[in-house]
Amino acid sequence: MEEYKGLLSPEYYYNRELSWLLFNDRILNEARDRTIPLFERLKFLSITASNLDEFFMIRVASLKDMVNVKYNKPDIAGMRPQEQLAAINEKAKEMVTAQYNTYNRSLLPALRAAGLNVVTSHKNLTKEQKHFVDQYFLEVVYPVLTPMAVDSSRPFPLIRNKSLNIGAVITKDKETQMATVQVPSVLERIVEIPGEKNVVTVILLEEIIMRNIQQLFLNYKIECAYPYRIMRNADLTIDEDEAADLLKEIQKQIKKRQWGEVIRLEVAEDMDKRMLKWLRRELSVREEDIFRISGPLDLTFLMKMYGLPGFEELKAEKNKPAPVPEMQGEGDIFSKIRKQDILLHHPYQSFDPVVDFVREAARDAQVMAIKQTLYRVSGNSPIIAALALAAENGKQVTVLVELKARFDEENNIVWAKMLEKAGCHVIYGLVGLKTHSKITLVVRREEDGIRRYVHLGTGNYNDSTAKLYTDMGLLTCSEAIGEDATAVFNMISGYSEPPSWNKLYLAPLWLRERFVKLIRREAKNAKEGKEAKIIAKMNSLCDREIISELYAASAAGVKIELIVRGICCLKVGIPGVSDNISVRSIVGNFLEHSRIFYFENGGAPKVYMGSADWMPRNLDKRVEILFPVEDKRLKNEVIHILDILLADTLKAHILQPDGSYAKQDLRGKTRLCAQEYFVKEAQERVPADRNPIRDRVFVPEEPVELQ
Amino acid sequence: MKMTTFAAIDIGAYEIVMKIFEISAKNGMKEIDCIRQRTELGADTYAFGYISYDKIESLCRILTEFRTIMEGYRVDVYRACGKSALRETSNILLILEQIKSKTGLHVDILSNSEHRFIKYKSIAFQETEFLKMIEKPTAIADVGEGSLQISLFNKECLVTTQNIRMGTMRLREKLSGMEEKTSDLSGMAEELMSSELFNFRKLFLKDKEIKNLIVLGSFLPKIIKKANNGEPSFYLSKDALMAELESYRRKDPESIAEELEISPDVSELLNQSIAVYRSLIGGMDVEEIWAPSLSLCEGLAYEYAEQNHYLKNPHNFENDILAAGKNIAKRYMCNTKHAEVVENFAMILFDGLKGVHDMGKRERLLLRLAAQLHSCGKYISMSYSAECTYNIIASTEIIGLSHTEREIVANVAKYNTMEFPDYKELAANLQSADYLTVAKLTAILRIANEMDKGHRQKFKSVKTVLKKDVLTVTINSAQNMTLEIGMMDDKRKFFENVFGVKLLIKQKIKQ
Repeated sequence: MEEYKGLLSPEYYYNRELSWLLFNDRILNEARDRTIPLFERLKFLSITASNLDEFFMIRVASLKDMVNVKYNKPDIAGMRPQEQLAAINEKAKEMVTAQYNTYNRSLLPALRAAGLNVVTSHKNLTKEQKHFVDQYFLEVVYPVLTPMAVDSSRPFPLIRNKSLNIGAVITKDKETQMATVQVPSVLERIVEIPGEKNVVTVILLEEIIMRNIQQLFLNYKIECAYPYRIMRNADLTIDEDEAADLLKEIQKQIKKRQWGEVIRLEVAEDMDKRMLKWLRRELSVREEDIFRISGPLDLTFLMKMYGLPGFEELKAEKNKPAPVPEMQGEGDIFSKIRKQDILLHHPYQSFDPVVDFVREAARDAQVMAIKQTLYRVSGNSPIIAALALAAENGKQVTVLVELKARFDEENNIVWAKMLEKAGCHVIYGLVGLKTHSKITLVVRREEDGIRRYVHLGTGNYNDSTAKLYTDMGLLTCSEAIGEDATAVFNMISGYSEPPSWNKLYLAPLWLRERFVKLIRREAKNAKEGKEAKIIAKMNSLCDREIISELYAASAAGVKIELIVRGICCLKVGIPGVSDNISVRSIVGNFLEHSRIFYFENGGAPKVYMGSADWMPRNLDKRVEILFPVEDKRLKNEVIHILDILLADTLKAHILQPDGSYAKQDLRGKTRLCAQEYFVKEAQERVPADRNPIRDRVFVPEEPVELQ
Repeated sequence: MKMTTFAAIDIGAYEIVMKIFEISAKNGMKEIDCIRQRTELGADTYAFGYISYDKIESLCRILTEFRTIMEGYRVDVYRACGKSALRETSNILLILEQIKSKTGLHVDILSNSEHRFIKYKSIAFQETEFLKMIEKPTAIADVGEGSLQISLFNKECLVTTQNIRMGTMRLREKLSGMEEKTSDLSGMAEELMSSELFNFRKLFLKDKEIKNLIVLGSFLPKIIKKANNGEPSFYLSKDALMAELESYRRKDPESIAEELEISPDVSELLNQSIAVYRSLIGGMDVEEIWAPSLSLCEGLAYEYAEQNHYLKNPHNFENDILAAGKNIAKRYMCNTKHAEVVENFAMILFDGLKGVHDMGKRERLLLRLAAQLHSCGKYISMSYSAECTYNIIASTEIIGLSHTEREIVANVAKYNTMEFPDYKELAANLQSADYLTVAKLTAILRIANEMDKGHRQKFKSVKTVLKKDVLTVTINSAQNMTLEIGMMDDKRKFFENVFGVKLLIKQKIKQ
């Protein structure tokens, strides 16, 4: 592989963290886009804030860990952890400035003009409003507050990760003391107060508390009070080899998480110097990790603001997922799948077929077993309820609940225990691997023997996120896939790999090799003068081996079109290396989440979908499944979806050779928003309802199929 | 549609496998699940002769899990079988008892010949391929973890089978500790295997021409598939296969596993297996190799399907057994003409006693075999021929016969001439029902043998009539049969005691 060696050198790669920050920038751009409904912009800004929080808790924390243990290996782009941290710090601070500029200069005035007045400081309240908030404080807020003064006998209390707090400098008998109180998370952050007619007036909870802080320290004099917020190292690393009981270990880790090292401190821009110094010392924060904020801390409250009643004209029309045409008509879901493989495109199409698949299986007398992997489950999940019902109905139910799904562990443990109680066989993940694949297998005994029904997806079995994430799914009863699905669950249950696989490719077993083979085949075809093309859609692209293979393929003449939503470590436009590669990122109302891979294969295209990104963690440390779409009708449909995504001119940001992303120049181009296109298309495909009452021709019911 | 869900469990030296099949007359046999769990029972058995507590524990745990899976599929019938790794342990009775009480499953311990026969059946069920293969002289080699079994075909019948106690896992155990002394462990394994095969070739192959070779070996189908550029064909010429096998020489198992797309955790015995394939195939002068992907589990399912009339095997296994019998008779220079007469006479008696003896097709076959082999001991010793006959039969593998069946045949042949013993003398090897079978068959064989006492094939035809507890045997012979009829009083008495039927022998002289 001599020819590939040069392609591995760091100058051909971007650092993944900086690339991620660019992704957050693209979302921030949406918040700044005046063509987007105002309240949608609030949502985008809120997302940038919560994204940044998670980024710090996981990625920055991890880099800090590396620095702490003196791990000094450079990354794919040749940057050492310390260098990365410095670069991230600079970019993150720029981003925060941009966030607050957007909030203060653009969104607040626009909101006010639209009839929503956010009172930014309690000092600006009218007399009437003051009276209202004081009353509110006494009746609602005061009972749940726990103020804590800090002195030599009372040590600095534990400040919870991501919580909003108010620090105060208080004095008594000329003696200065510090005090802190947490802004209670049980109360709504946004409080509606009386104001002008026809204008909704709100104020943030911390302003109400700051105005009334004296009430908390009655015998003291309040010098000043400012909000602050901290971020702790939350990266959850479990040594799975040592954890005798994984479940207990995770529970232990969750408790520990609140105590992680403080890696970011956000304070009001004008915070009192004494207080800042005190916080720095007590929380052991470095100067560079202090973010001075000109506005309300923690912009995630904007998501709540989006939810305020009214203002519907300032929000995008709510998407109502269209019913899936193949699912309509009489008969159970199994007879429909037997008729044809069914492709699902969420959230344009409803997620109901997936829920119904499990639900009907739970009730169907012929179903013998249901097996499913669960990664992130919604609260009150109908799928969980159906699985529990199935077990109660005497079906053999095997569920792999991935406890290592970040930040969902607590949630998942609850479900897992509930399922176990209902009689399901619950597997709590695999040692050393996260099970990220999304697969459901229903084994049914039919007239002519056992038939297996399989759902394979690119997204989680989560009916809430299925309304927001774009994902693909396949319902099939293909024997080859059914056999493989059985083998997948055998493996997950701890049994050996089958001697061979029919259709599915599994990470960490063969997936990486398969992708490399597929890319190399295109390169070979290109060299032989055959048609050669790769289209790949994913969330992130940062695997060095895959990128180098793409470079080699590009150099061989393969046309490569990548649709990568988030991190992309690949560089475009390097002469002789990546001139044939284009990268676009679509950031829209829905979160692009599907993973689709197209290989030209000399004119007989191969289309695959799956749960894996081209990231080392997906290919090496997770159980992932890649499945082919072979039915001609469905394959064409998936290719059509890729074509539309590639034709998007409104929401696609194109990666430039200089590493920046830019929207396209619309001159001479058709305005097309892929997501809107799919919404419309899905609605149009629903067959018009027959109205049986008005129809002049009576339609006899088809006889119910007996098995 | 009548359908049976059948579970076959194969407790091997290296792993425990369960396959679930759906069997119906309409669709034949369909595998619907295959669950494999690695547990190296063989590592204990082959090294220490017994299986440790921990391994038994995990065996029971796996079998309990298998039981749950069976319940999930609503399995109607199961068969669980142990092979050499269980058979050769000193604590087998305790293990079986533990399995029974902890898992509720009954495990059959297969003798080597039963085990190989079941696998052989699964090959024979591959009708088109199998019948085509055995048109030419063919050998079947079954590469196991504990041993290697080679069977030879001639004129579409299996004529001989030999067990070579050197399998892939036994090879590994034998060579353990040698890693430091050589850089080519695989070459060493090959050498060891070749020396084992040398004797086999010298004794059994020297005058035989073998054209085709059928090999059952876990990795061979993948190797051949790869050599065929991924095409799902399991045929290859010897030269092409040897070239492929040579290309793995001195490669580490991980990279071979990767090339063959074999999961690294089952590739442990890959090197030993390749060494066995190399020495086996390299040492035989064959043209084509066929390596179907079949295992004991398929065989168990086929056997069930056959016994319950779901499927019919195109191949006649009885002929194999009889051909093997003839081959042994030839090897020990039995008087074949005499044997044939005795066999025929015995069959006539057996059939004439229908309704009295309460025996079936299988016992008839055993009787034929006993008749064929009843005098083979004379090859060793004229004075102790009965004991020698017993020893030869009891230690010669006849594929298709169970251990008990072989014991029955050996005893029938032995007590043909020796005084028939009390049950307690045979109780160590035979259950009471089998003892009765031995008695019945011996009674018949003795009469049949007596009728050709002079080995001169005096009669032309024989007829029997059973009427009111009297079996009349009419012998059509022009020669004087006084010697034969007169000398058999004590044999007749035994016969009458066993069947409760009077035996009347008449001679009819008709030209």
